Amino acid sequence: MTGLGYAVDAVAVWLSGSPAPGWIAVTVAVLLVWVAPLLAIIFPVAALGQIVERKVAAAIQRRHGPNSASLEGPLRFGFRVLLCFLPRATQDRAFQRFLKLPVVRSLLPILQKLGIGQLAADGIKMLGKEDIVPRGADGAVFRLAPYLALTGAFLPFCVVPFAHHLVMLEVSVGALYVIAVSGVTVLALLMAGWGSGNKFSMLGGMRAVAQLVSYEIPVGLAVAGVVLWSGTMDLHAIVAQQYRPGVFTFVGWNLVQSPFLAMLAGVFFLAGLAECQRTPFDMAEAESELVSGFNTEYSGLRWGMFALAEYTEMLLIGALFATLFLGGYQSPIGEQWIVGLHPLLATLLHLGIFAVKFLASLFLMVWIRWTLPRYRVDQVMRLCWLTLVPICLVAVFGLAVQLVLAGGTEAGTAYGRLAALPRPALGVLGHLLGWAVPVLLLGVLVRIARRRHGGMHPALRQLTGGGS
Amino acid sequence: MTIEAITLGGERMQLNMGPHHPATHGVLRIRVESDGEIVSSCIPDHGYLHRSIEKIGECIEWPMFVPYTDRVDYVCAMNANLAYCVAVEKLLNTDPATAVVVPRRAECIRVLVAELNRISSHLIAVGAMAMDVGAYTPFLHGIAQREHVNDIFEKLCGQRLTYNYVTVGGVAFDLHETASEEIASFLDQFEKEMVRFNKLITTNTIFRDRCANLAVVTAAEAIAWGLVGPNLRGSGVDWDLRRDEPYGLYGELGVRVPKGERYAGRKGAVGDCYDRYIVRLLEIQESVRLCREVLKLLPPAAGKANDPIGGHQADVSKVLKRPPKGFVHCRTEAPRGEMGYFLVSDGTKVPYRVRVRTGSFSAAGIFHKVMRGIFLADVVAVIGSFDVVVPEIDR
Repeated sequence: MTGLGYAVDAVAVWLSGSPAPGWIAVTVAVLLVWVAPLLAIIFPVAALGQIVERKVAAAIQRRHGPNSASLEGPLRFGFRVLLCFLPRATQDRAFQRFLKLPVVRSLLPILQKLGIGQLAADGIKMLGKEDIVPRGADGAVFRLAPYLALTGAFLPFCVVPFAHHLVMLEVSVGALYVIAVSGVTVLALLMAGWGSGNKFSMLGGMRAVAQLVSYEIPVGLAVAGVVLWSGTMDLHAIVAQQYRPGVFTFVGWNLVQSPFLAMLAGVFFLAGLAECQRTPFDMAEAESELVSGFNTEYSGLRWGMFALAEYTEMLLIGALFATLFLGGYQSPIGEQWIVGLHPLLATLLHLGIFAVKFLASLFLMVWIRWTLPRYRVDQVMRLCWLTLVPICLVAVFGLAVQLVLAGGTEAGTAYGRLAALPRPALGVLGHLLGWAVPVLLLGVLVRIARRRHGGMHPALRQLTGGGS
Repeated sequence: MTIEAITLGGERMQLNMGPHHPATHGVLRIRVESDGEIVSSCIPDHGYLHRSIEKIGECIEWPMFVPYTDRVDYVCAMNANLAYCVAVEKLLNTDPATAVVVPRRAECIRVLVAELNRISSHLIAVGAMAMDVGAYTPFLHGIAQREHVNDIFEKLCGQRLTYNYVTVGGVAFDLHETASEEIASFLDQFEKEMVRFNKLITTNTIFRDRCANLAVVTAAEAIAWGLVGPNLRGSGVDWDLRRDEPYGLYGELGVRVPKGERYAGRKGAVGDCYDRYIVRLLEIQESVRLCREVLKLLPPAAGKANDPIGGHQADVSKVLKRPPKGFVHCRTEAPRGEMGYFLVSDGTKVPYRVRVRTGSFSAAGIFHKVMRGIFLADVVAVIGSFDVVVPEIDR
């Protein structure tokens, strides 16, 4: 049982006042201990993702991004609510005092520059907007879709280990659960597209279904590869299995365990991008083609839910990528010392490391979005079925062969044996050697592909600064 | 296309793109009929931006029409000014009594502003096309450079969009003292920036794959449909009025004309969207070169405005009151292709007829032909590749 599991039991017992709590007490306890904190953490972080997106986009486009919305208004409102028992003049005086505090005075402009004020302003704006349901819309379907999208984005987090034993459900089929539950998003997008009574929305919904269903195959295969390698579907166990003692903990990460796993990692990230409908795979939203795709007709908070679902899903892909390929919450260097620390301190450190890992993939996704153009519908499908799926099949097959040759256990593989050498530096050297061959092969393949494609037109070379 | 044969058998859906759509470049409405994602027909519907500019021309005096030419194509107002003024000068020159000699310095300034505006107009074209294909960043980088051009123009004539700068017989204001250095330093900075732009989007594989072999217009088709400017040259037709029917100073400058050469490589075809796009980028380069050449040729300013060498404005106030009778047709090379003015004069100070012919109009004419059997997602890319500016279609 997880640490949180004990907490749930304790709270349920305390709530019901008996050692064998009924189902109501257990439900309330689950809500209190699991769901509420997770919601309280994931959604603000996802909202923060939006600020990250806008700031990174601004940097890429040499703009400032959101920097003008002040935090003073929301804070004043907060003061009024908190001090509602005092007269208005006293409230204002207190607020002015508060504003003059050196910490506040120095911090507020920084937060404003970072665009945090924009977050508050956007939130208030979305709450205040009219909730429009178009006349031609299928009311129930239209209204239900955003909730479903949010659910589908949120549920997989139940099995993601954030730190050692900090996981809501330690189910033995975690990987399978993630894939199964995140499939709900497809339905949500289809409902939104179909229910809107708008042709652009419908096209967006249809595209979303075709794309999400297709890309679940490479995602599934990539996860299957990791499962094959680790011998377990339990995400917590997958993380634990990537642990290595010694200084260089990262030699145990699945990403560097085998070239085949690295291939799967690449496929997983790309397919993950497609799963959360991000450029270059944002078929369903495709602003310049479909206005706003499946969420064209949504306004106010319902639209906000779709936006939140998108960012939550990005976080999910980042979290899963970290869990499956980057050793989860473990530090790249010196994990054994962190494990030896006080459990609370270790948990906090692990949380921080995990946050860094999935924020890194969030940043990568944002970077890709603001750099690349969009694929066309058929090209997206072709990439999935003719490139990613075959790569996955080859990689999974390769992994299987590797495992069989090495006697079935991960520690017995060539890389495993090299990594387990007594001196960590030697282990790293072994890894590098083991990697050199496949990387060289890849280089040769790329060269052949380039030659087949034919060289660049001289005019293009000149346009990009090369000699004419 | 084979796609067409396979899929266009089912039920059709009509889709209205525009007049308010994020990617139709203004208030252009396109009636798209599609079978799922495949377009079966695509009819542009014009007229949402009609302002009766030609009719206005019949009601006001000759020089008063110049500000209206700004509105014919506000993305390249300098070129639009120039087209009208060159036409009026051609009309005046039909009679030796009213002939007008544009000062050489004014001719230089005209080429300078026209080429700078061509640069900024093409920046919008290539940036918007990148945006239509889903890349937002290149557009903003292009706009940032366009802002520099606008700054130069603002110093020159006080306006950033509708300049009203080129006048009959010259230009409205002389260059300010530091203009040459400012333009030269802009060009240096701009060339480096364009290399970055091209590395970011032009050679991007996704972008190239989306534009290659899309909406192919062969040279014969381009001529038959009356395409002009970069759209014509993108199809491999070697034709540029600045070189083949030079006006102003262009005859001396020797314009090099790029044309479509299947830039996308093996996957492309001459006259596809990628060729039209690259032709515009190459024209930007050529315009940079022309600007530098003209800066070398620029004679120093004389004190007098109507000095035939160093002045900036010939004295035309009298002759415009009493222009020769008759008609002229004069065409110039604007960024969106030939901008032709057909002027009829009955000898009074008000034109009898002003007719404008623009490049976007003929480009919009070929839409329904090239958009059959392509993907819905490509409709916007094709519109972008033809660089349609709606006020130019409707006038």
